[in-house]
Amino acid sequence: MNRILARTLNAAMSWPKPQVHRGQSVCHFCDTLHEGCHLNEGMAARCARCGALLYENQAGSLVRASAFSLTALLLMVLVHIFPFLTMDAATLRRELTLFGAAGALMKDGYQLLGTSIILFTFVAPLMLAGGMLYVCLPLMSGRAAPGAVFVAKLMYRIEPWNMVEVFLLGVLVSLMKLAKVADVHFDLGFWAFTGVMLCTAAAVSGIHRDELWDRLEVARS
Amino acid sequence: MKTRFPKAAAHGLAGCHTCGKVSPVSLGRCPRCGSRLHLRNPHSIQTTLALVVAATVLYIPSHLLPIMTVTELGDVTHNTIISGMLWFWRSEAYPIAIVIFTASILIPLLKIVALCWLCAAASGLVHPSPKALGRIYWFTELLGRWSMVDIFVVGILVSIVRLGNYMTVIPGPGALAFAGVVLLTMFAAMSFDPRLLWDQLDELSSTEPPTNTPKP
Repeated sequence: MNRILARTLNAAMSWPKPQVHRGQSVCHFCDTLHEGCHLNEGMAARCARCGALLYENQAGSLVRASAFSLTALLLMVLVHIFPFLTMDAATLRRELTLFGAAGALMKDGYQLLGTSIILFTFVAPLMLAGGMLYVCLPLMSGRAAPGAVFVAKLMYRIEPWNMVEVFLLGVLVSLMKLAKVADVHFDLGFWAFTGVMLCTAAAVSGIHRDELWDRLEVARS
Repeated sequence: MKTRFPKAAAHGLAGCHTCGKVSPVSLGRCPRCGSRLHLRNPHSIQTTLALVVAATVLYIPSHLLPIMTVTELGDVTHNTIISGMLWFWRSEAYPIAIVIFTASILIPLLKIVALCWLCAAASGLVHPSPKALGRIYWFTELLGRWSMVDIFVVGILVSIVRLGNYMTVIPGPGALAFAGVVLLTMFAAMSFDPRLLWDQLDELSSTEPPTNTPKP
């Protein structure tokens, strides 16, 4: 039983790396052209001129990316069920949620700010983790999901706008500000969002962008 | 003089912005992901400078206008970013005061200066080492997002502090201006092309042969 499990796991982890010879690669920082070479698992190639990372061949990259993005998606459900902060002031109890914060700004006439909160803390992480799972899970068996190229493009385009960690810092600052006025404490949503932050970061850094695209190219051909 | 490092642009090759595949720029679009291919970001310096100027203009009202208005038992106070920071400093929450100072005052300012400096270096006005500049560029891209923290704080406080007559918080126009500063500097950093810095270095070493280095 254990052996079968080990074999399945092994197959999932080491689905043959892209067979295409990595011909040339170009450094994004300084445009230096490099001739490709074979990289063993766990190795990384850096630019000879400026030292920027060119390519990384991480062990179990697809499994890591899918597992962490799935965890992030599950934690996101908790984020939207439970509040971030609960505040007790006299007889009133107020709770903070992501959409509550965005909605309050919209109600006061700042639609642009409300939309940007939703975009940076809800849409961006959702598309990042969801897109990663959608692309990486079928790739584990060597298949490309329909529209995977579009999803992968969108995912990498939205990546710099993912501001989960900044929002968490904002929650901390607000807590400090309110601590003198009322009795405020963290709720489950805050901890779940911390998990979302860690898991999306781990998922994105779990697979190098070029490796994902190489695999996608092999799977589609 | 030819440098030790061949440039992709010199061979008519472009690395795709989206997927990293190297293909001839004459194809127009990347054969793998379909993104447009460029040797360098088109009009990189102009776009970056335009966005930086817009951000600088917005930086002034973002600190002069209130980002939120607090009404506590009929007592109305207008909070700017600076007064919010000073409030934390006076109430001896020094770490938070330093975080707000860094994220909301220092980082946007440093970003504006750094991007101007990078544009000057990319157009050949100053000649610092591209390696150091590359680090500055990487840093501005990394830190820019943290400035959004004040916008999030406003959103959080507005939503949670609705205690009827006791205390309410409403957002102010400063928050809008400040969000503009953050977004514009982020777009500016994205449209800047760090490869231009290295192009300048190569141009310099090809026009000035290393004969003027002092010999012992």
